[in-house]
Amino acid sequence: MSIIGQNIPHDSAKGHVTGESVFIDDMPFAKNELMVDFLGSPFAHAELISVDTSEAEKIDGIIGLFTYKDLNGINKFGPIIQDEHLLVEHLATFIGEPIVVIAGENKQAIEKAKKAIKLNMKELEPIFSIDEAIKKEQFIGIPRTIKTGDVESAFKTSEHVLEGTFIIGGQEQFYLESQASLAYPGENNSLVIHCSTQHPSEIVQVAASILGLNQNQVICITKRMGGGFGGKESQACHYAVMAGLVALKTKRPARIILTKDVDMQVTGKRHPFQNNYKVGFDSNGQINALKVDLFSNGGAAADLSTSILERAMLHSDSAYYIPNMEVHGKICRTNLPPNTAFRGFGGPQGTLNTENIIEEIANYLKKDSYEIRRLNCYGIDERNVTHYGKVFYNNVLPEIFDELHKKSDYKERFDSIKEFNSNSKTHLKGISLSPVKFGISFTTKFLNQGSALVNIYLDGSVQVSTGGTEMGQGLNTKIRQIVADEFSIDYENIRIMDTSTEKNNNTSPTAASSGTDINGSAAVLACTAIRDRLADFAAQHFSSPEEGIVKSKNNIVFKDNYVFDDRKPHKKISFKDLIPLAYRERVNLGERAFYQTPGVDFNRETGKGNPFLYFTNGAAVSEVLIDKFTGELKILRADILIDIGQSINLGIDRGQVIGGFIQGAGWLTSEELKYTDKGYLLSHSPTTYKIPNITDMPDIFNVEFFKNEENTVNVKKSKAVGEPPLLLGISVWTAVKHDLSFVSKNRVTLNTPATNEEIVMRIAEFE
Amino acid sequence: MSKTRDYILLYINGKKTKIKGDSVFKSLSDFLRYEKQLVGTKVVCAEGDCGSCTVVHGKLENDSLNYKIVNSCIKYMYQLDGTHIITVEGLKSNGCMNPIQDSMIKNHGAQCGFCTPGFVVAMTTMFQEKNKLSLKDLKDGLNGNLCRCTGYESIVKAGMEVDTSNLKHFEEIYDAKNIIPDLQEVKTIPIFIETEEKKFFAPIDLISASEFKKANEGLTIVSGGTDISVQINKGMRNPNVIMSTWGIDSLKELKIENDNLIVGSRVTLSELETFIKDLYPSFYDVLNVFGSPQIRNSGTLAGNIANASPIADTIPFLFVMNAELELSGSNGFRTVNINNFYKGYKSLDLNNDEFISKITIPLLKNNEKLKLYKVSKRKDLDISTFTASFLMKSNEGKIESINIAFGGVGPIIIRLKKTEEFLKGKFLNEENFIQAGLMSTQEITPISDVRGSKDFRFQLAKNIMKKFYFECLEEEAVLCQ
Repeated sequence: MSIIGQNIPHDSAKGHVTGESVFIDDMPFAKNELMVDFLGSPFAHAELISVDTSEAEKIDGIIGLFTYKDLNGINKFGPIIQDEHLLVEHLATFIGEPIVVIAGENKQAIEKAKKAIKLNMKELEPIFSIDEAIKKEQFIGIPRTIKTGDVESAFKTSEHVLEGTFIIGGQEQFYLESQASLAYPGENNSLVIHCSTQHPSEIVQVAASILGLNQNQVICITKRMGGGFGGKESQACHYAVMAGLVALKTKRPARIILTKDVDMQVTGKRHPFQNNYKVGFDSNGQINALKVDLFSNGGAAADLSTSILERAMLHSDSAYYIPNMEVHGKICRTNLPPNTAFRGFGGPQGTLNTENIIEEIANYLKKDSYEIRRLNCYGIDERNVTHYGKVFYNNVLPEIFDELHKKSDYKERFDSIKEFNSNSKTHLKGISLSPVKFGISFTTKFLNQGSALVNIYLDGSVQVSTGGTEMGQGLNTKIRQIVADEFSIDYENIRIMDTSTEKNNNTSPTAASSGTDINGSAAVLACTAIRDRLADFAAQHFSSPEEGIVKSKNNIVFKDNYVFDDRKPHKKISFKDLIPLAYRERVNLGERAFYQTPGVDFNRETGKGNPFLYFTNGAAVSEVLIDKFTGELKILRADILIDIGQSINLGIDRGQVIGGFIQGAGWLTSEELKYTDKGYLLSHSPTTYKIPNITDMPDIFNVEFFKNEENTVNVKKSKAVGEPPLLLGISVWTAVKHDLSFVSKNRVTLNTPATNEEIVMRIAEFE
Repeated sequence: MSKTRDYILLYINGKKTKIKGDSVFKSLSDFLRYEKQLVGTKVVCAEGDCGSCTVVHGKLENDSLNYKIVNSCIKYMYQLDGTHIITVEGLKSNGCMNPIQDSMIKNHGAQCGFCTPGFVVAMTTMFQEKNKLSLKDLKDGLNGNLCRCTGYESIVKAGMEVDTSNLKHFEEIYDAKNIIPDLQEVKTIPIFIETEEKKFFAPIDLISASEFKKANEGLTIVSGGTDISVQINKGMRNPNVIMSTWGIDSLKELKIENDNLIVGSRVTLSELETFIKDLYPSFYDVLNVFGSPQIRNSGTLAGNIANASPIADTIPFLFVMNAELELSGSNGFRTVNINNFYKGYKSLDLNNDEFISKITIPLLKNNEKLKLYKVSKRKDLDISTFTASFLMKSNEGKIESINIAFGGVGPIIIRLKKTEEFLKGKFLNEENFIQAGLMSTQEITPISDVRGSKDFRFQLAKNIMKKFYFECLEEEAVLCQ
């Protein structure tokens, strides 16, 4: 039986349950190691006139205080647009923006130093909201448009037209391990930085550039992360560079571990959006035209905002064929920490916006929103071209809709909810199905590359390291399975090595759900190359002219830990025994391979192209119960049906699906970012920022996988699973919206998150 | 002062550990991670709100160790004298993982692994008492642990599928016979520890406690420490003189006497929760969502009262019940009705030599209906936005008397005297409770904060009156049938 598809425990499971897995702050302390911290701006927008560190320098235990003047390289960086400073020079643009890096021997000294540093600053007027930024025309990047057909004429022929504005809240990644780095100084100004990051290569690039080193002088190693969710894609590097700076300047190991409070205050989050929409449709609910203006709150710098907005625009069709569609997008520059990647990367916001519109249409026509969704769903052979011109091949959504509708007893429950709501004085129920059609590939073409290094040792054991990083998602487990499958050897023979820029250079971030796709494909290529050489050697080994067996590489089979010539399979040799023989014949037993995703490209000017290799599709039905008086929300039941192709590891993938659903539900219900009018984040720890708890799980939770073996374009016929399930959580919010339609005579305006407060206040407003 | 000792004695994973000096003033999680290299215990929030730092806290009770989970980030070493702490590293026996760990591996209960040690410790502790856990057990027992990766389903499944036939209980891994005598021996000696900056005193009698309090103005009494330790961790407070009343045995009482419930000040909220389940079902429900199991295993009712938060979950209940507080001072005891205890925001009717020694709560009478409400953004492990409690006597659809207390609507928890007066003698109908709701908004002064806006709180005041009415109605209907 192939190891592909087997339910193997997570590669690090044993270490995790025993507490033996090592995270950055668990690494042993060197005797002369320094703690690194920083002093950030107390103001959201202010001129920095001067910094006086003289008093702080005198504090016992303070070893170094560094401002931008101490940076030997260029104090400017950013993954797409270079508009961010590591340390403020003259203008602070958000609360907590680092000004002084502090290196000390203990926490007490650092805390004293923070108080002793004098910042001479002049407050300027800040901008926090999308409305203010629009009014003052503060934008990041250029406005974008993607369109198809002619919306304006289509609105004229539409039977009904609805317009509105929809507000989508942000979301904190809330990885449990806060940003963490440990830097060791080396010879000749070199650095080794251990970092909890999704993007080790960016650490190298940014550290080298800011610290004035060559990239070959910096090595970044990532063993694992205690969660990432996008928050460690571009935003781990600030702190890694600070540790690097201290290590370089003091020649002592330097470690920085953010507290959860500081981490939440200074790092970026999922982008809040504010969208205007206009939709035209007929009395059946068939959408004729959709015009959307998306405005994201980018925060103070570009970070990944342009790509995130692009993905939001590309997902504004959700799962529906809309013949006339126009999507505009702008990123608002505000004085909040630069918003950044978070699982879904704009996709959830684009999709949610349209799902809100679907609920609006259903409520307007007094129809079941499922009917509207099913009616507008992309077709299989027709009505299958997206607004950006990509043909949606292998569309299984109609089948998923039908199957889930049936399996989830949607109809029966929809009807019984009506009855429940007319009888209950205290509670309301709602139900809704929401779909997922998530495009897989980085929309930035050049990032679609992966690499892997596979080395076989003389006892037949194998090491593999890829450009991908492990954040809990199970990448390493899947890579081990892929390599074991390629050589047809035991999974236990494969060891995954730390991700290191020394082994794989210029890697892409582990993001866009692409970890297994690109790095697994590269691992396959590496294994194939070695196997090819081994087959050549084995062919020689098994050839026997006297038996009429001439050397033939194509007849060599690797199966169940053995290698043989299929013309005389009984003369097999174990993989383990073959390796030392091959070594003696000077066969190369290592390979570094490179993969580039074929056929993806997207033209940003025209808004047309094929940005995705394929789609991961699915749908969820959620039923919710609301206490009319307190707004308390309970997910009574959730049913999920998702197509992830041929799963490499169903246990791992199931974990991704369920974790994603709950995280999406949290985004839209209990997770609320609250700021003071000065831009200070009030909800900066789990006491005030509420991610879902174990008791928030649906009472009934059915998760099934749609059978699909047609996805031949990706590694082992699998599909990416990291981000798509987050969008399944949208069904919880649309169910709340359905719920409130029972108390509102008119339109049901509901923003996100649907907290108890949002629900209570809306009910009061509707009544 | 009688003879004292200058050290804390505890066991960590079966190993005797004596602590003196500055280490006494460290948090348990820091001590484990940075002094003992026991880095399996993780710290995320440092405020007892995520459970990643969960460890087992073995407390000496009579002649055995009672093992409960606590958050090590908000347990300071000075609180741990006479205990046995078991960390994730101490769960193995003879180098083998336990069946809970096996089940977590098999069921994909861990993804990134950062919350995992906390979950494993919590779950293992639950299996000390039961061989099989239900879904409800697991949800009740694990709601003090947050996970961001799994969505919890795999963790629940792991818990349901544990094969306990080979589980070695803590008593089997760690022979109590070796530990208990040491812990019992030190119990009889008070602790006094003084460093350059700090002082810690743990008396074993009430008089010494009062005298010490009087002599050290501004001293901090640490009970469960679940709030004070958070403030210390977040740099909001740095107490130099700390006293623990944990060693005073007389404060341990928990009993029913003359139609009253008596709760000593060192009774933990979990002990109380178990004891009052049938006495005050509605209060039981509130305690059930008070913090988390870890918090309830540390926190006390007295601590919740003395902390004087306007959103304290237990106080509205004590208000409507007219609970009496016994205050212990150098001249003996005095009692005060809790309704008169709060003078303003965090200001108490408490002299500088006094501390709360016990709480007396009348039992419910037959014709009394008690209902408590807690509104929070998330149901479990969340601080209240708004709380309400009702104690009503009614007869044939008419209200004889009603006590109403609201929390989260001003600087202190309040009784709604005018609204109570209005409802007295009125019929139980919707219109009267709508009126009462409107009236209640005149008696409260809510503000907007991170947990909710002022308007939301005003709306909740109105809504909760209606909710109370409809719930009474539903219950009456059930009774009539």
